[in-house]
Amino acid sequence: MNPVTSVALVGAVLSVSVYLVAVIDTAVGLRVAHRRRYAGVWMAPVAAAARLALQRRSLTERPDREAWALAAPLLAGLAAVALTAIPFAAGVGIADTRAGIVLFGAAMMQVMVAVFLHGWGSNSVFPLFGAFRMAAAGLSMGIPFSLVLITTALPAESLSVGMIIASQEDLWNVLRQPIGLPVYLITALAFSFWGPMNLPDGGDLAGGTAVEASGMPLLVWRIARIAILVALAAMGAAAFLGGYLGPWLPGWLWMVLKTLCLATVMIWSGHRFARIRIESVVVFGWTLLLPIALVDVFVSGALTL
Amino acid sequence: MSVVATFLFWAFSAAAIVTGWLVFRTDSMVRAAYWLMASFVAVGGILMILNAQFLGLILILMMAGEMTIMAIFMVMFMMNPAGLNPMTMVHQHRTSIVSGAGAFVVLAIVALFADFPDRPVPAGVDPTVDLGVELLGESMLVFESAGVALLAVMIGAVALVSFRGRFGSAEEGSEEPSLETDER
Repeated sequence: MNPVTSVALVGAVLSVSVYLVAVIDTAVGLRVAHRRRYAGVWMAPVAAAARLALQRRSLTERPDREAWALAAPLLAGLAAVALTAIPFAAGVGIADTRAGIVLFGAAMMQVMVAVFLHGWGSNSVFPLFGAFRMAAAGLSMGIPFSLVLITTALPAESLSVGMIIASQEDLWNVLRQPIGLPVYLITALAFSFWGPMNLPDGGDLAGGTAVEASGMPLLVWRIARIAILVALAAMGAAAFLGGYLGPWLPGWLWMVLKTLCLATVMIWSGHRFARIRIESVVVFGWTLLLPIALVDVFVSGALTL
Repeated sequence: MSVVATFLFWAFSAAAIVTGWLVFRTDSMVRAAYWLMASFVAVGGILMILNAQFLGLILILMMAGEMTIMAIFMVMFMMNPAGLNPMTMVHQHRTSIVSGAGAFVVLAIVALFADFPDRPVPAGVDPTVDLGVELLGESMLVFESAGVALLAVMIGAVALVSFRGRFGSAEEGSEEPSLETDER
């Protein structure tokens, strides 16, 4: 695909989906709280963004300016890079290469670096705690995350996301590899630091890595965070729910619906469940999710043979 | 190589060298670790230009985790919070200069006089497949032995430090051991 078209396409997809996910977040929050007055949900994210954009930005004493300034754009850029690996419709993939799923995994592991730099950059205590938590959660969840994702490549016999979607023509991976999607969603929550896995930016740290951010930098950070959630939901839809495959509707619409469906599940978990403590996340990741993910690899590998 | 590939090769090479130099010019543990990561990311880019997409991407993937671990451990192993403070990244100047210059001379000699193979990869070859065949074919015993040995070391390290820490279970909170030796 033409480079200019590619950038425009990813930019458009991210802008629209970030707005939609912000609206869904507001609506699900009201629904869970039994406050069913949905009149303002379409404008609420716009109002919040406008408030942040007009806010004065605060500074800390001797921050690591470059690292702090880099973190939010890096996070947004990683979401865009991750999305390029996923075909939005049959043949409409920007970087649907032979190693597409590895490109996605590499972008997600770099998320850990972006969050760490965000916590490190402001030279403040709570953000630094958030940075250390991201490292602990990311390293504990990274291996199960990669394992269940790479398992979807086994039936396709290819690391290309397009081939993985094509291999689900007869049976979606959510049924063929029933362990995969639940493990993927749990670990994806850790990489998007959302909901019960929002440890780096959690309320118990008064906002974690984002405590010292305000104004425009905080707005960019919030948008980037949603963009990562969108990328993870889109990959979940492609790897486990058959991506653009589906009857009646056009392929891209199926992809949008499945992505928003997974994003809604992840957002809902944030409004419904309490945050898990970092010690439990680490123990859970290494002693439970990792063996389960290995079972997924071995069983799926045996079935593919 | 096409013009774009040539340009990217020189850009990534320059980036790898400059960021590698910045590792020693910065005054922060975390910055040093992430400059090193940036250098490796540039090397990953060069690998991708050389049609080794999988290797390049896996290098970028691994370095994210490894350099984060390195940054945290470097901060942790300082005996006080000095790891979080600005500090010089160079020491033992004379030894470093001698070994650095020596390594440069040796590598330069290799680069100038070695007989590098010139075998362009034929179109249609998938290096990922070749890599898989190599790992699980001829060289399987070597890679698997090394892999199992490394895995055993990692399990041992995790068993030593996790869950039951020195002062009891990590989840139940810690209690320091008594100074009286006869209690235990």
